[in-house]
Formats: sequence, C-alpha cells, structure tokens
Amino acid sequence: MSSLVIPTAFATEDVRRTVLANGLVVLTKEVHTSPIVTSMIWYRVGSRNEELGHTGKSHFLEHMLFKGTDRFKKGEIDLLTLKNGGGNNAFTSHDFTAYYFNFASDRWDVALQIEADRIVNCAFDPDEFEAEKKVVIEELKTGLDSPWGLLLQEVEAAAFKVHPYRNPIVGWLQDVERATVEQQQAYYRRYYLPNNATLVIAGDFDTDDVLRKVDQAFGSIPAGTNPPPMLLREPDQRGERRLVVRWRSKVPRLAMAYHAPHIAEQDSYALQVLAVVLAEGKASRLYQRMVEREQTVTFVSAEYGEAKDPTLFHIRAEARGDHSIDAIEASIHDELASISSSGITMHELDRAKHQIEAHFILSRERTLDQAILLGQIETLYGLEYIDSYLRHINAVTIDDVADVCTRFLNENNRTVGRLLSDGSDADAEDNSETD
Amino acid sequence: MKPTELGLRRAFEVHSHTLANGLKVLLVENPSIPTVSLTGSVLAGARYDPESKAGLAIMVSRLLDEGTQNRTSLEIADAIESVGGAIEADGSFERIIGSAGVLNKDADLGLELLSDLLIRPIFPQEYVDKEKERTLAEIASALDRPQVVAGWAFNELVYQDHPLHRPSHGYPHTVERITREDLLEFHGKYFVPNNVILSIVGDFHISELLPKIEAAFGSWVPKPVVFPPYAPPVRQTEKRVKFINMPAQQLNIYLGHLGVTRTNPDYYALQVLDTILGGGAGFTARIPMRLRDELGLAYTTFASITATAGMDPGRFIAFIGTSPENMKLATEGLLNEIKRIIQEPVTAQELQDAKDYLTGSFVFAFESSPQIARFLVHAEIYGLGFDYIEKYPKYINAITVEDISRVAKMYLDSENYTLVVVGPVSEDGNIKGKWAGRDLGKENGSK
Repeated sequence: MSSLVIPTAFATEDVRRTVLANGLVVLTKEVHTSPIVTSMIWYRVGSRNEELGHTGKSHFLEHMLFKGTDRFKKGEIDLLTLKNGGGNNAFTSHDFTAYYFNFASDRWDVALQIEADRIVNCAFDPDEFEAEKKVVIEELKTGLDSPWGLLLQEVEAAAFKVHPYRNPIVGWLQDVERATVEQQQAYYRRYYLPNNATLVIAGDFDTDDVLRKVDQAFGSIPAGTNPPPMLLREPDQRGERRLVVRWRSKVPRLAMAYHAPHIAEQDSYALQVLAVVLAEGKASRLYQRMVEREQTVTFVSAEYGEAKDPTLFHIRAEARGDHSIDAIEASIHDELASISSSGITMHELDRAKHQIEAHFILSRERTLDQAILLGQIETLYGLEYIDSYLRHINAVTIDDVADVCTRFLNENNRTVGRLLSDGSDADAEDNSETD
Repeated sequence: MKPTELGLRRAFEVHSHTLANGLKVLLVENPSIPTVSLTGSVLAGARYDPESKAGLAIMVSRLLDEGTQNRTSLEIADAIESVGGAIEADGSFERIIGSAGVLNKDADLGLELLSDLLIRPIFPQEYVDKEKERTLAEIASALDRPQVVAGWAFNELVYQDHPLHRPSHGYPHTVERITREDLLEFHGKYFVPNNVILSIVGDFHISELLPKIEAAFGSWVPKPVVFPPYAPPVRQTEKRVKFINMPAQQLNIYLGHLGVTRTNPDYYALQVLDTILGGGAGFTARIPMRLRDELGLAYTTFASITATAGMDPGRFIAFIGTSPENMKLATEGLLNEIKRIIQEPVTAQELQDAKDYLTGSFVFAFESSPQIARFLVHAEIYGLGFDYIEKYPKYINAITVEDISRVAKMYLDSENYTLVVVGPVSEDGNIKGKWAGRDLGKENGSK
C-alpha cells in the first residue's frame, strides 16, 4: 500500500479521462486498497430537462432501466448482481441520472455488459411500465408523508417560477399518472446516448486492460444527435415570497430558500464557507444561538450544494416545544444581518475551511464515494473543478463571506415556507369513527 | 459462478491489547487514506434503564460532549471542528459509543477528546435541562412519521415487559423524571475501563499510538460492573393486531414477531433465509420481487430476522408501505411468502444464489476505517474471532436446503405474529376516507 499525501490523493492527476469516438467520456481511477470495482454511468439528464406536464420522466426512466432489455430479461440485472455478490442502485437528481454496480474485482465487467446494453436496448414492455408506475406512485406518496419532503417541495415550487428546478424530481402526481410508455421511450431515445454520458470506473484494475474492455462494449454504439440544450433561466426575484403548508403535525417547521449561483461561479465558494459557518457543527453560529442559548429549535441547518444551473441556498429549522416560529425566523434574519454588517471572525473562517477540507477527504474512502465525486463533477462542470476546489475555498476572505451574505441571503431574494398544524393532530385519536 | 477468493486479500492484522486497568484496545493500521477513526464502546445501554427512567442511557450518551472536567461544551466542539474533525456520542440498547473521525495529523487530539468524553463528563445541570426539553421535542417530531409510530407500536407488542419494548430514548413521562444524579450514577456504574472497548483504525503506527493510548486511558480506575438482571423475552403464542389511525398517503405495515440473538448458531442459516425471503440484491428476494416488482404494491418492502439480532433477541420484521386500498393484498402477500418458505423447501438455485451474494458482497463491509472499527467491536463482543473474514464464507457455504427449511419452521411463524398498521385506518381495521367501502366492504383487517 502506498502512503498518500492529502492533496494529491484526491486530486484528479491519477484519473484518466478518455473520450471514445462516439462521444462517451470514460473516467478511470485505479484504487488497489480493496479488491473492489465500482462502475457508474452518468447521463446528463434529470428533472431540469423535463417539460411542463411531463415531470418525473427522468426518474421513471431510471426505474425502467432495471426492467430489462432483449439480452437481459426482466429481473436479470438484479439476479446477475446477486449471483456475482455485488450491489447496484441508481439515483436521479435535477441535473443527472446515475447508475452504479459494486463488484469484486475478478467479476466486475458484467457491469460493462449491462450498461452498454441498456443505453440502447431498454425493453419498455407496456405491462412492466404500468406495474412500475404503481411503484413510482408509492415512492411519491412516501415523500408526501414526510413533513420536510412536503414543505421543501412547496418552497422550491414557489422560489422558481420558470426554471424546472421548481418541480419535484419524482414528478407531480398527475404527470406520473398520465405518463405513457411511448412518451417515456421517446425521452429515452433523446437523452440516453453515448455522447450524453460519462462512464466512471474506480477500483482494483489495470487501466489499459479496462479501456480495451470499455471500447469493446461501448465502441460500436452509435452517437446520436446531441440533446437540445435546456435554455430556461429563472428571472430575478423582486421581493420576498411566503407560504404556509397546513399539515397534521403540531411541530412547526421553517424552510427558507435564497437564490444562489451554480457550480464554480466565483461567489459559490464563499457561500459554501458561509453555510458551514452558519450551521455545520456545534460551534457554528446558528447552533450556538438557537439550540444552545435561545433553545427554540431541535435543529437548524444550512445547505448549499453544487448544481448545473443557479440553485437555492437553504436554511431550515424545527421548532422545539411551542416556541414561536416568528421568533425563530427573526433570530436567523438577525444572525444573517450581523454577518452582513460585522462579518465573521478569522477563527470562524479558518474553522470552516478546515471543516470543508477534512470533509472532502474523510467522505471519500470507498471507491463508490470516489466514483460519485468524479461522475458528478464531470457531469455538472468538468474535472478541473475538483483540482482547484480547495484552492478556491482557501482563497475566501472574511469580506467575501460578508459580501455574499449581503448579496444573496437578503429579504428580496428569499422564499420562506412554514409548515404549521392543520388542527387535526389534537383529535386524531378520537375521530376514528368519522371521516 | 464460483465464489470469489478475493475477500482474503483484504485480511488485515488486528493488534489486540488489554491495558492494566482492563481496557480492551483493538488496532488496525490502514494507511489507504490519511485519516484515523476512533471508537470507544461502553458495554451498557438502554436495556439496563429502569422502566421508570427509560431514556437514561441515551441521555447519558448525548451529554458526553456537553462538558467535561477539562472543557466546556463549546470548547470541545471548537477544538474538533477547528481541525475539521468530528466527534459524536450515541447510544443504543446495548452500547454507548463515542467516536471521532480526524485527519491523521490530528489523531492525538481525537484520542485526547475521546478519553475526556468517556472518563470525565460532568453533565452540567443546564445541559441536562436542555437535553430533556430537546428529547421531548424530538419525540414529538418523530411521531409525525407513520413508519416510526408503526415501529414503536410493533416493539411494544412483540417485547411486552422486556426492556426492548420501549423506544431507546424513552417516553416523555420517563424522560421528564431523569435527574443529573441518575446520569452521574449511570456513568459511575458502567463507564469503567474494564467495560469498554477502544477500537482505532487508520493511518498510524501502532508502536507510536500505544503509548499515547496508555497516557490517555491508563489512569482510568477499574471497578467491577454489575448488570441488572431481566428475564429474556417470550415468543408470542397468539396473534396480536393493532391498527392506528393517522392521516397519511400510505399505510405502514409491520408484520412479525420475536427473532434471534447474534450468537444464535443458526444465525448464518437465517442470513441465507433473509436473502431469499426479503433482502439480497435489488428486488431478487421473494417479498420485494412479488410485492414490488410484480404487483407494484410498494416502493419499500423487505423482510429480515438477522438485521436486528444483537445481545438480546431481535425481531423478525416484514414491512411494506402501501396505498390504503392495498391493505388486504399487501398483508396477505407478506404472509403468503412467510408461509411458503416455512412449508416448501427453497430451490437449490435460490440457495446457491444467496450464498454467492453473501460471500461475494461481504467484502463491502470492510472498505472504510469506520466500518472496520465497528467490525472489531462486533468481533470482540460476539466472539467472532478476528479471522472472521476467512471463516464467514465457510459458514455460509455449509448451509443446506434442509437447514433453511429447519430454521424457517423453527424461527418464523405465520400464525402467531404481531401486525401493526398505521395510516388512514380505523382502530377496527377499516380503511378511512375516500377508500372506505371501495372493494373493501367486508375488510376487517387481515387477521
């Protein structure tokens, strides 16, 4: 085993980027720690590509990709995973759809055969489509039974008027119910192309050998017409938006969302530092104020992640006992105003930078984690983002943090959602005979 | 497909050492990335809480980092976060675990803070009051989730008077009763070096780390530990059914009964059974294949008896989250698969596939330092041996079709089970709201 130096272990210099003639991007990274190979395929399609009335298509498609091809019949992809002692799964986001297999390194190339086949040969059996629609609807309903799932869905729909980030990734119920197999198949043909995908392979293998296998499996798949670019842009928000979701809970919840820049934009790094300063760890500003001193919330969080298009910076809190949601919201506004006017301390800045740096390393131990990082960043932006990431974080100044707090986390740029009791929780036990 | 031999290549050397005060130290050098994972496991948990003060052990765990003789809560948080590390304490029925994850250059700090948390917490009154309020609020929040309500009600019915019947963090009325003196007493009784396992995995040299461990933990004074006795749980001999009304999109259905301990000799046969019945890769197992993939009844459905096996017997759980109109179909679907595996032998192919899956995917449990640190504690507590990685495939490959039939008959029960349904359903099992009367006129639960 080799001993690694912090920056190079996770930089991309040991990642090989190859582009096949048909446009498929292939990223390979040898990791010989465990006899494991993770292979992933990332398609540059997600809910941001969906049109009005057709939401949820990308996610539904992800489900269909496990329902078989001519070569791998229904159930066979999972069965091969089982027989080979592996694991598989997939996920869909606003910006991408990704599939992975984990296998021992003496048998992992079955994953290549499956992925190469289902880029083009997904079966779309109408009966299977209808059966899977029911599964997707159950998944959607599970989300609606979660208070945060429901509240965030409403906040995102209010924060974005035009951009498809307003739609739930799983789709709106009526759209999913109306989905047809023909439309789904057409969507698949448009976006599942080698020239719209990235294959990532990380683990215990020899790169030259793997690249030969990849070329054999994928090289003959013809490139297609590049999918149409998604051109919708969200207009500037010109004032606060507020909403209330009535629900059966007696625990009030608060979700605030501010429009914020996309991945790699200059301001994005200072906003990431700000999110950590606000709510990452017990020493953070909002934790110390609201959990420790005011004791008004059970938790408070600040989240801002990489996205292809301008996205949202989220702050969320859950009320403790019957504390006023007004007071909770006022404390957050007050803390943001304080950062805008007085900035943060040098100690807060240093601590946040160390947290970001360590997280970058501590969270990438498994080959799957490394493959996810490479695939996601290649899909959203390009690998150079990873190389320069810690340098950019390190360059953030106290003034930068105060400046982005002022320009982004302000009243006119925010959507505030509250989840409040609908009054039903008090007598939920007593009305079993009515309805 | 031939089982992989590659798992053996991951075999790591475990350095096991016991300090003079009885502290068990388990170390593995893993230089693959520049981090160190430290875990201190105290072998006492919520199963020893007095019934009237249920929640005590978990509250002890949550207050460990809220102040020690040397540092305030904020000083602890600031020290670890300033180097980008994380330290946390958590509890379960069986253990209280303090853990730290740091970059290798900060291993000394991780060790120092972890020893401080375990040996010298002071449970400041101010934080005790805060933590009680917070726990009460979190219980209220958790009760918003139908699956949580269903899981808690299921445990109450399955375990009856056994300590595992209650939520590990207690009930509102028992949490309110807990005092600072209770916390100090729990700490004094169980937080002694001869009742703790320290496991550290990561990028360090054992020869350099051992003296530091000795310096941090060596002066901790041992003393005998007496665990309060309690009767083992009794497996039910009748059906127990409960419907809980909660306005929701879905019904959350738990069906099952008492399970087995981790040290049960049939544990490995039951792992194979789980893989065939309700686990495995994707939707290959019988329950997800039938209820999700074929019938489209659910996004989430599974079954397992080994997942909750511990020092105390766990539970056999078959779960499904489904739309209200599917209640009968879903419940019968779960029961039919349980009956089938009890009554009919599994096929040779099913058995072989399950074995290949378990022996092949085993290696994924040892990829990261925190995973290995957790394994070391399990190996120690359950007597698995540090050569478990080599032995495990042999245990699994020895299982026969007859073994599966035998353990299915012995440990699963399709007659005497607990059924809990939470969602838009009345207490007598009638579906509420817009589904009432639609194809369900005669529906009275699935008893």
